[in-house]
Amino acid sequence: MDLLISNLGHGFGVALSFQNLAFALLGALIGTAIGVLPGIGPVATISLLLPITFGLPATTAIIMLAGIYYGAQYGGSTTAILLNLPGEVSSVVTTLEGYKMARNGRAGAALATAALGSFFAGTVATILVAASGPVLTQVALSFGPADYFSLMLLGLIIACVLAQGSIVKAIGMVVLGVALGLVGTDVQTGQQRFTFGIPELSDGLGFVPIAMGMFGIAEIVLNLERPESRSILSTKVGQLWLTKEEFKRSTPAVLRGTLVGSFLGLLPGGGASLAAFGSYMMERKMSKGRAMFGNGAIEGVAGPEAANNAAAQTSFIPLLTLGIPSNAVMALMVGALIIQGIQPGPRMVEAQPDLFWGLIASMWIGNVMLLVINLPMIGMWVKLLSVPYRFLYPSILVFCCIGVYSLNNNAFDVYMTVLFTVFGYICSKLKMEPAPLLIGFVLGPMMEEHLRRAMLLSRGDWSVFVQRPISATMLGIALIALLLMAMPNIRKGKEKAMAE
Amino acid sequence: MKLNVNGKDMASGLILMAIALAGLYLNLDHSLGTARRMGPGYMPAMVFWIQAGLGALVVFFSLMNGPDPLERWTGLDIGTFLGGIVAGLAAFWIAPSIWGFFGQTYNAVGVGLAVGFFVMAISAGWKMLAIICASVSLFGLLFEHAGFFIGLATLIIVSCFAEPTHTKKGIVGVTAFLLALSWWVFIYELDIRVNLWPQF
Amino acid sequence: MVQWPRRAILGGGLALPALARARATGVQAAWPSQPIKLIVPFAPGGTTDLIARLVATPLQEKLGQPIVVENRPGAGASVGSLLVAQAVPDGHTLLLSNIASHAISPALYGNLRYDPVRDFSHIALLTLNPSVFVAYPRAGIANLDDMARLHRERGLDMASSGSGSSNHLLIVRMGSILGREFNHIPFRGAGPAMTAVIGGQVPLMSDSLPSAASHIRQGSVKAIAMSSAERHPSFPDVPTFREQGHDVVTSSWFGLSGPAQLPRPIVDRLSREVSAILDTHSTRSRLAEIGGSAGQYSPEEYAAFVASEVALWGPLVRETGAKPD
Repeated sequence: MDLLISNLGHGFGVALSFQNLAFALLGALIGTAIGVLPGIGPVATISLLLPITFGLPATTAIIMLAGIYYGAQYGGSTTAILLNLPGEVSSVVTTLEGYKMARNGRAGAALATAALGSFFAGTVATILVAASGPVLTQVALSFGPADYFSLMLLGLIIACVLAQGSIVKAIGMVVLGVALGLVGTDVQTGQQRFTFGIPELSDGLGFVPIAMGMFGIAEIVLNLERPESRSILSTKVGQLWLTKEEFKRSTPAVLRGTLVGSFLGLLPGGGASLAAFGSYMMERKMSKGRAMFGNGAIEGVAGPEAANNAAAQTSFIPLLTLGIPSNAVMALMVGALIIQGIQPGPRMVEAQPDLFWGLIASMWIGNVMLLVINLPMIGMWVKLLSVPYRFLYPSILVFCCIGVYSLNNNAFDVYMTVLFTVFGYICSKLKMEPAPLLIGFVLGPMMEEHLRRAMLLSRGDWSVFVQRPISATMLGIALIALLLMAMPNIRKGKEKAMAE
Repeated sequence: MKLNVNGKDMASGLILMAIALAGLYLNLDHSLGTARRMGPGYMPAMVFWIQAGLGALVVFFSLMNGPDPLERWTGLDIGTFLGGIVAGLAAFWIAPSIWGFFGQTYNAVGVGLAVGFFVMAISAGWKMLAIICASVSLFGLLFEHAGFFIGLATLIIVSCFAEPTHTKKGIVGVTAFLLALSWWVFIYELDIRVNLWPQF
Repeated sequence: MVQWPRRAILGGGLALPALARARATGVQAAWPSQPIKLIVPFAPGGTTDLIARLVATPLQEKLGQPIVVENRPGAGASVGSLLVAQAVPDGHTLLLSNIASHAISPALYGNLRYDPVRDFSHIALLTLNPSVFVAYPRAGIANLDDMARLHRERGLDMASSGSGSSNHLLIVRMGSILGREFNHIPFRGAGPAMTAVIGGQVPLMSDSLPSAASHIRQGSVKAIAMSSAERHPSFPDVPTFREQGHDVVTSSWFGLSGPAQLPRPIVDRLSREVSAILDTHSTRSRLAEIGGSAGQYSPEEYAAFVASEVALWGPLVRETGAKPD
């Protein structure tokens, strides 16, 4: 413990230098800005900014890039709450309750919860990274392909809870999402599947065109069709800050979300995006405000936002302790380190104590900065909603369209967005929820990869999924969750809650 | 038992089943492999069968958990819907032979989508959806070739027709403001690489 | 004093700085007029990625435009390669060509949509390096004899960075030498495969030396055989295949290529700059550290080399009966 404190002290000594502080702030600012713009994500930004980090010392460079990464997580939730625009996978969940809160005139409270929850989660996760990084890595290493598959299956089952209506229909949407994820080149054999010979599809359908179409633009159409409902959006701004009751309700949600997120962030691949869904489901089942879910429950913002930020921090653990990146942003970090002549890996803690502890300290400092940047801006963001809708929606369209186009500089993505707008419109008319579909779409390709690998390793024996303890546990939880959801009395309760 | 049909659920189930069957048909091209060494068709086959099954279940339950009927389509809705599809497809096929530009990359798709949606916009039931989609399609068609300003101005002005309370002054104002704002954000600050003005 | 990126500081207040300012005016300015995309057809963290980032850094300083490394993994490196083959040959899209994308995959995948020689302008060979078999330290495999014994007894699993990589072919070849196929487990790049070996999910892996080097040094995996002709100077403790009685000598290679019809001045400029970079002490020592040696080929020599590798690996792939899996 003393060692930890002295190490952290050393880290703060490094991170609090003027230069490092300045770049942490710069990273946080850039991150927030790109998070707010739909379609422009942290991966693209970091790869563009990578060159300018060459002139910087390694520690400073990584501190700035890390700032962009978690800044983008914050910024993404802003547009998700205000405009129903999820720029990233994890903010899909935030749209569910956050946008409803904004419609109820509680946009300020939703944004404040997101900022405070993220800050708290970031703090806890930072301590966790510092205290037990190497131990936690061992846990992550014990996950085999079968375990990953079962975890993701659990994730898909969880995704069904995101839906409001019938559970069978929600599972159907999840499976449809998985099916959409099949489009593209089969990684193992190189065969094109469901691409109709279109080269743009050989990499698969894009997440952003689907998310922008089904969420953002379809929502604009629906708002235009119901002029009476959007007037709420522009007239009732409401109190900016959290009420005492809201604060009381979101606290336990943040605690639970931090726990879930810290753990899932360790796992490569889907971990960080699963964190937000997992937390949402927990809140929906466990929190006091569960009856309000679907109509703007603050727990549904607080939990997932905390989980998502905790996961963003703990996803540094495999990178720092093993040198193995757990997602695309982390891979870019490896690139940045290699360019600086540093090979990330177990020996980094001893070989580069400045870098290791400085980065950890700067994570926390970055979170403080984000809080300082974002809290005063809430007022400004909320004012945005008082812009008459007839002026607001062309602006959303402009930002969506440019964002989608600049993904690949190709109009093809724009036309895909149009198709998914129509599909999203049909879905909402038929009360089919788009959120489970998106989650299936994200997890599907990873599931296939792990399934095929698990079956290769087990030599075609399906029982591997119940023989491995981790996998069996995941499947057990999935089964229980499914049964709970399917049980008629719970469904009745759900309908009653919806009627209220 | 009295039937209590949920039209929305029934339509959802049928859509799920239709997509699954189409997927299964397309998947005939891919080899299944074995459970140990799965081919490219193994996972799709599993997924689409499960989806078809779920679709059937949704249809089954829809027979009793209603009533929740679909919104009614007027004659004009049906007419413009079919007309839009026909006009869109026709434009998609004919456009490239009218002007070589339409034959490049995905421009014919943009023309087809825009024409189809404009036809649909005639009926009040489709108006909002069709105008928004048409404006985005035109943006796709124009942004690269006619340039940043013309592409965006078209998007903004066309999309404004979806909202009856817009005034002429308001449209001009919002267009000018958004052009300036997006120029500042995307060209001046982010420096995305697009043509600002038409290229010939 | 540290060199502060001036534009980053100036733009900091606006939060959206520093994405190079050269404006696209429609008039083709002197190359390079915009950031250059370097496509790496494997996942981040692997050898190909490592080498790309190693070369991209000094190269962008020399060219005065940022080089953005973009990972496009999949299908034995053919996904990313196809992307470059179909790109506009203006020198702003380049490929880290390699043995998988340009020698093995063309033979392995019948349906490849590019020709490894005709559809590219080959610019320079960057580096050659051997492959290495590594084992999970607690798998009880210390050398090739251990491996052969266990493999004959119960059949072993062996991971690779993907179907169609040279490491995959090495697995197939070793299998045919031992008279029993290994259970090949392809991953999406060397990083994830290495994780599985470190975690003991898969006991063995065939990897290129650069991506395995740091893990071997750290002792998180045990190197059991190296595919070089002699012991490697950076890893004198690791015996070769030959020493252990199997005549297997292979090396994988990595180079720089662009789409076909790349203007000659661009090819020459790139070839010159790359050759200067490979000549510097720091690049050489970085390459040696990860187990590679620098190659010095002219564009013509590299193109001829690629063609000879295509001719070499085609029959070998058919002979071993290797299949993408």
